[in-house]
Amino acid sequence: MTHIDPRVHEALDGERPLESLPPDLRIEADRLLDVAALLAAAPAAASVATRVMAHLAEPRPSRLRRLAQWIARPQAVTFHLRPVWSLAVAAALAVFALLPNGGPLALGPEEGIAQFVLPASGAHSVHVAGSFNDWRPGAIALEDRDHDGVWRATIVLPVGQHEYMFVVDGERWVPDPNAGRYVDDDFGRENAVLIVRPSSP
Amino acid sequence: MLACAALPLAAQTVRPRLEGRVPAQVIPAIDSIVRAAAADSLPTEPLVQKALEGGAKHVSADRIVLAVRLRRDRLEAARALLVRAGDPPPVTPLKVTAVATALSRGVPAPTVERVVAGLPGSPHAAALQAVADLLAHKFDPDSSAQLILDAARLGVPHERFPDVATAVIHELQRGSTREGALAHVRAGLPNLPPPARPTPKAASDAKRPGAAPPR
Amino acid sequence: MASGGPPDPEVVARILGGDGEAFGIIIRRYEPGLLRFATRMLGQYDAGADAVAEGLVRAYRHLASCRDPARLRTWLYRIVANRCKSYLARRSSMEVRLDDAPPIADPSDSEAMVERNEQMERVQRALATLPPDKREAFIMKHVEGLSYEEMAHATGDRIPALKMRVHRAREALVAALQEQEVL
Repeated sequence: MTHIDPRVHEALDGERPLESLPPDLRIEADRLLDVAALLAAAPAAASVATRVMAHLAEPRPSRLRRLAQWIARPQAVTFHLRPVWSLAVAAALAVFALLPNGGPLALGPEEGIAQFVLPASGAHSVHVAGSFNDWRPGAIALEDRDHDGVWRATIVLPVGQHEYMFVVDGERWVPDPNAGRYVDDDFGRENAVLIVRPSSP
Repeated sequence: MLACAALPLAAQTVRPRLEGRVPAQVIPAIDSIVRAAAADSLPTEPLVQKALEGGAKHVSADRIVLAVRLRRDRLEAARALLVRAGDPPPVTPLKVTAVATALSRGVPAPTVERVVAGLPGSPHAAALQAVADLLAHKFDPDSSAQLILDAARLGVPHERFPDVATAVIHELQRGSTREGALAHVRAGLPNLPPPARPTPKAASDAKRPGAAPPR
Repeated sequence: MASGGPPDPEVVARILGGDGEAFGIIIRRYEPGLLRFATRMLGQYDAGADAVAEGLVRAYRHLASCRDPARLRTWLYRIVANRCKSYLARRSSMEVRLDDAPPIADPSDSEAMVERNEQMERVQRALATLPPDKREAFIMKHVEGLSYEEMAHATGDRIPALKMRVHRAREALVAALQEQEVL
């Protein structure tokens, strides 16, 4: 970490005039102000107003309400929901086709890659179980390598459609809040649906 | 002996897969459902998967049997739909499963029939997945099906149908109306944004699921 | 910080009284700053727009819980900052996708535009190396111009802690920029 003279901090906090700084410190302060000015240049933004007002005019999705009710039950672990209409995060979890010359893994033509992500701060373990592994709850572990409460795993899976859920601390079955596709599991909950695509021709 | 040999391999080996995974008292009932399905030329793997799922989720024995029966009924309905839609034989397990999944995700039967009939002899799974994705974002079934059929007609390969749905949904998120989003994507067909690719880090991190643990 | 038009408490009262359309005034008034904040926090235009849109929907639905409508602006920053932090927690990697950010310089001066965009890219990459709380602190203080008192309202943290965070953020940003130059 670079050290900045306390007088520079005071000037940038408005607690002393910039002009009172000696030249070398003045340069440091100006540099940070230049960076701030650059960041302050507003992006040429299209308004989100239409989108927001349109969303507020619609009735709330029942799936969101059902998921929210499931979360409110005592056994739910903490995770973040987003509105059903946003695929921004789901896209990040989409299953990819491998480029023919990509990756050190030799994938067959009927295989693809799935990235699983679950924010679950406070969990001691997170696994994923689904139709791709006979629903074995302890077989595929996610990892929280940087201890930020976000658990991840990247797995090779066969091409096709799969259903899955996360298993937290070995016993709590949790739907993937970011899957974007769900189907009733006929046991009172919802499985996430994952589509693994074949590698490109 | 001959009767056993005529059964698909999956039906012959289902008991070993279930032992230790589901309550012992339901194994005979599930085995019976699976054998009957096999004899009726219905896919059996979805039935075994539903039983294993129920066992893993510690669901009661009754509910497991009920869920497996329900899934069998859905597979049968899916096969009947394929026949009604005039899908050229053979009615493969993959097609039956794809139709059953679409129905489970809320695609109305008439819409499924329309998609199947509109893509004779082609794989249907990707088309039905795309329609189901659009319905999940409250697009109406008819317009959704029409867009996918138009995409097929304009030469979009079937494995890219989910990208058509994704493109429409992204348009919706950018502020279009649903009609506008559909029209915008249709106007661009057969061109589509490229599908997402894994980052090099993701590709290098990927691992295969471990072998099943010994019982 | 209303510049023209009815003051925020009056608009909030109208909305809570049933005039939902009046929320459009709030959106037009604060959206540019919120979009800039979210875009700088997330390093991506689309993700920033999503965070702001989600935040505004949430603000509308929970408007009655805004205890001091005279400080609506900082309340909105709090909501959008939380959406940004949620997004960062979910994102599987920290890559900054600047190719979807619109150019910012005067398009009639193409050389200056290229240079400015390159500078912006360097600065945004350096900013992305900061942990979310320090990134947020720097952007709130130096980009959005919030006072420490306003930041305390937006984050729920005490002023001495916020000052320390901003100081550390400045140092980390300078270090990241110096590292880029060396490389």
